[in-house]
Amino acid sequence: MITKTLTSPNNSISLQPKRKGFWGTVISQRELVLMSVPILLYKILFSYVPITGWTMAFQNFKPAIRSVWKQKWVGFDNFVKLFTGINGERFIRDIGNTLAQSFITLVLGYVCAIALALLLNEVKSMGFKRVIQNITYMPHFLSWIIVAGLVSTMLAVPSSGGMVNQVLMTLHIIKEPILFLSNPNYFWGVVAGSNLWKELGWNTIIYLAAMTAINPSLYEAADMDGANRFQKMLYITLPGIKATIVVLLIMSIGWILEAGFEIQYFLGNGLVVEKSEIIDIFVLRYGIQMGNYSLATVAGMFKTVVSIILISGANFISGKLGEEKLI
Amino acid sequence: MKRFALILLALVLVLSTAACGSGANTTDNSASTVASSSTPASETSTAAASGSTLPALTPDKPVTISAWLTSSFAAPAADNKITKLLKDKLGVTINYEIITPDNADQKTGVMLAGGEYPDLVGATDLNGRFITGKALIPLDDYLTADKADLLFEHVRPYWNRLATDAGDGAKHIYIFPNYNRYYGEITGGTNYGASGFWIQKALLADQNYPDLSNMTLEKYFKMIEDYKTKYPTIDGQPTIGYEILASTGREWGMTNPPEYLAGAPNNGGVIVDSNNVATIFANKDIAKRYFQFLNQMNAKGLIDRESFTQTYDQYLAKLATGRVLGMYDQRWDFGNANDALVSQKKDERTWVSTMPTYDGIAPYYADRDVMNINQGFGVSVSCKQPDVVVSFLNTMLSEEWQKILNWGIEGEDYSVGADGKFVRSDAQRQQQKDLVWRSSNLLEAFRDLAPKHQGSYSDGNAFSPDTQPSEFFATLSDYDKNFLTSYGKQTWRDFLNQPPENPVYYPCWNITLPDGSDAQMANTQMTDTALQFLPKAILAAPSDFENIWKQYTDAIAKVNTKAIEDVVNQGIQDRIANWGGSK
Repeated sequence: MITKTLTSPNNSISLQPKRKGFWGTVISQRELVLMSVPILLYKILFSYVPITGWTMAFQNFKPAIRSVWKQKWVGFDNFVKLFTGINGERFIRDIGNTLAQSFITLVLGYVCAIALALLLNEVKSMGFKRVIQNITYMPHFLSWIIVAGLVSTMLAVPSSGGMVNQVLMTLHIIKEPILFLSNPNYFWGVVAGSNLWKELGWNTIIYLAAMTAINPSLYEAADMDGANRFQKMLYITLPGIKATIVVLLIMSIGWILEAGFEIQYFLGNGLVVEKSEIIDIFVLRYGIQMGNYSLATVAGMFKTVVSIILISGANFISGKLGEEKLI
Repeated sequence: MKRFALILLALVLVLSTAACGSGANTTDNSASTVASSSTPASETSTAAASGSTLPALTPDKPVTISAWLTSSFAAPAADNKITKLLKDKLGVTINYEIITPDNADQKTGVMLAGGEYPDLVGATDLNGRFITGKALIPLDDYLTADKADLLFEHVRPYWNRLATDAGDGAKHIYIFPNYNRYYGEITGGTNYGASGFWIQKALLADQNYPDLSNMTLEKYFKMIEDYKTKYPTIDGQPTIGYEILASTGREWGMTNPPEYLAGAPNNGGVIVDSNNVATIFANKDIAKRYFQFLNQMNAKGLIDRESFTQTYDQYLAKLATGRVLGMYDQRWDFGNANDALVSQKKDERTWVSTMPTYDGIAPYYADRDVMNINQGFGVSVSCKQPDVVVSFLNTMLSEEWQKILNWGIEGEDYSVGADGKFVRSDAQRQQQKDLVWRSSNLLEAFRDLAPKHQGSYSDGNAFSPDTQPSEFFATLSDYDKNFLTSYGKQTWRDFLNQPPENPVYYPCWNITLPDGSDAQMANTQMTDTALQFLPKAILAAPSDFENIWKQYTDAIAKVNTKAIEDVVNQGIQDRIANWGGSK
C-alpha cells in the first residue's frame, strides 16, 4: 500500500494549482457550506428582514392598522420633524451627549483595562493575581439597575447614605456635601466612572489571554539582552497584543452611538438633562412612549447609517496603518 | 464516516432551526387552547348564576385568564386565599403581569407595536392608547340587561361619558371605570384621598394646634421653619422642611400647586375660567410666584435639595422616615409611606392637609369624587373567549364578590353585628396593617383595576371598611383621636373645603391628547421643559431666579402650547354638549 501511494502518478495533483470555479469550491466544501446555512438563515431573518420596517420612517405609522403596506405615506415628514425645530435642537444635543459619553467611556475603559492587564501580567504571585482578577470582574455580573442604585446612594448626601461625600468631608477636602447627581458637569464623569467600575475586570480578560499567546522565548531573549521589566512591557508585551487592541477598537467604534442606556435612564433627571440625555432615551420618550413609531424609526435609521460609516472608516484607517482589517 | 457525520450534523442544525420556529408557534397556540378548550366558546347554554346568558363559571370548567395591569400593588402571594377561592368557586385562575405606572407608557408602546395582548388589559392610560390602537374590543354587545347585567348597570347612567371613538367614527364602551362610580348612599367621607399641602401632625401639636384656616404659603413655611429650628434632627437624622415630588410620571407634584394657590381645582396643566375657556398656567404669574417663593425658602434651607434627583421609591422611603415636615402631594400617592409610619406606630409623624392660597382667595382643593374614565379593565382583541372574561368581571361586580374583595371572608376578616353592620375585631384590624399578611389575604392589584361597588351595599353596609364610619373611628389610634379632638374635627376630610358641584366638563386632566398629535408632542415638551428649568429655578441663588425664569418662559414660548389648549377646549365643549346622557 505504502509503495503504491508513493509511486502513484496522481500524487502530483496537490502540486499543480487547478481552477475549480465557484461551484467547484462550493461542492468541495459542501459540509462547511451546509453548516453555515442555519447561521445565514438566522442573519437574514433577524438582521435583514426587519429592515423592511424602515418603511415606517416614510409613513404616519398607526399600530391599529396592522399591515405596514396599508399605512399612510408621508414622504420625508418624519425626518423634518426629527431634525428641525425644538425636536431638532434636542436631537442634535443628544447626538453630542451620546458621542461624548461613549468616547469618554471608551477611552477610559481601554486605557485602564490595558494598564490593569499589563500590571496583572507582571504579578508573579498567582494567588494575588487571582484575587485581584475576581474582585475586578465581579461587578460585570451585576445588572445596571443595581449598579445605578449603588451609584445614586454612594453619591447622595451623607444623611441618605452617601459614602463618597462622607469620606470627602471627613478628610476635610470639602466642607459642604456635593450633589453629584444634580450638577450637569459631573454627569459624563459619573457615567464613565460607573462603566469603568463595572466592566474593568471583564475587559482585561481578553488582553490577559492575548498575553499568554506571546512566545516566552522573546522574554528570555530580552532578559539575556538585559532589558528591565518596563522595557519588556513596552517592547514585547504591548506589541504582542497590538493586533487584539486594534480589532477590539474597530469593533467598539461600531458601537459608539450605543452609549449604554440604563445608567442614563436611571440616573438622569431634569437638572442634568442637558448633559445626560442620549439618543436612545430621546427615542424612548418621543417615540415609544408616545406611540410615535415613525419618529423612532427615523432615529434608528440615522444611528445605523452613522455606525456603518464609523466602522468602515475605522477599518480603513486600520488597514492603512498596516494592522489587521476586520472586514 | 466522518464526512457523513458532518452532513448529518448540518442537517440536524437546519432542521432544529426550523423546528424551533414552528415549536414557538405550537406553544403559542397551546397557551390559548388551554383556556379555550376547557370552556369552548360555543358552550353558552348553561346560564350564569345571575340569570345572564353569558357562560357560567364553575370549578369543573377551569379557565385561565391572563391579565396585564398597571398598578402600584404587587401580585398576590402564591398562597393567597382569595386566589384559592376564585379557583374553588369559579374555576378561574388569573395570570398576572403587573407594570408600575411610571413604566406603563413604554410597555404600552411596545405591546401596541407587537399586537399581542393578554385577555384582560387593565390600564390607567389617560390617552386611551389601547382603544385607539385597536387593542380592545367594543363591549356594547355584552352590556345588556340579559347578559352582563351588573356591568351594564355599572356604565348605563354614564354611557355618553364612557363611550369612546376608537377612530372609526362610532362610540363604544371599551373600559369599565375602576373608581368613583357610586351606588346607593355615599357613606364615609372620612378619608381624604386628594391634594393638599400636607403638614406633620407632631409639628401642629408642638405649636399648640394653630388655626389652619386662611392658610397662606408664608404661614405654612413659617410653621415649618419654626419647627425645624427647634428640632434640627428627628430620630437622629436631619429634619427635612419641604419635599418636592418630581419623579417620572409624577411631575405634577412639582407643576400642579399654582392652580390650587390661585383658588382653582385640579384641571391638570390648565385653569378654566368662568367662560369655560382653558389656559395653560405653567408660564404665568401664578406659577412664577410659587416657584419664586420656593426659591426663597430654599435659600433658607427649607427645601430638600435631593428632591429632584430621587426616584418615586426614594421619595416614599424618605417620607417613611418621618422626618419630612411638609410636601405637596395627593394622599393616594404617598399612601405607602403613611402605612409604613402607622405600622411603626409613628402616628405623630403622619400628615394632615392644609390649603394655602394667594391673597385670601377661597381654597378649592377638595372636589367631588370624579369617575375614572379611560382607566380600568378592558377585554383585548387577542382574547379567545371574551364572553367568559366578561362573565368573570360581571361576577366580580356582584355584591357577594365585592364583599369578599373589599371586606374579606365573613368570620375570618370581619363579622356581622346584631344590627347587620359589618365589624372587625381589633386583631382583624391590626393584621390589615401587616404588608405580608395583605399579600396572602387580599387581591390588591386586581381590586385596584376592577370595577367597584363604591357607596353602599343593598344591606346598608359601606363598600369597604375604610368607608364604614363606625370602622373608621374604631381604627383611629389614640394619638389620632386626641389630634382630631384638639382641632374639634370628626374626620380627616373636615380639614378640607366643602366641595361644590363639579362643572360638567370637570376634570380637564383626563381629556385625551391623541397619540401622535401635535398636542401630545407639545405636552411632553412642556413636561420636559418644566423638569429642566424649574428645579434649577428653585435651587438657584435668589439673585439668579429672574434669569432662569426667563430662560424657562422662553423655552415654553417655543413649544406649541396652543395645540394643547385647542384640544382641551375642544374637549370641554364636547363634554358640555354630550355628557349627562345615559342609555
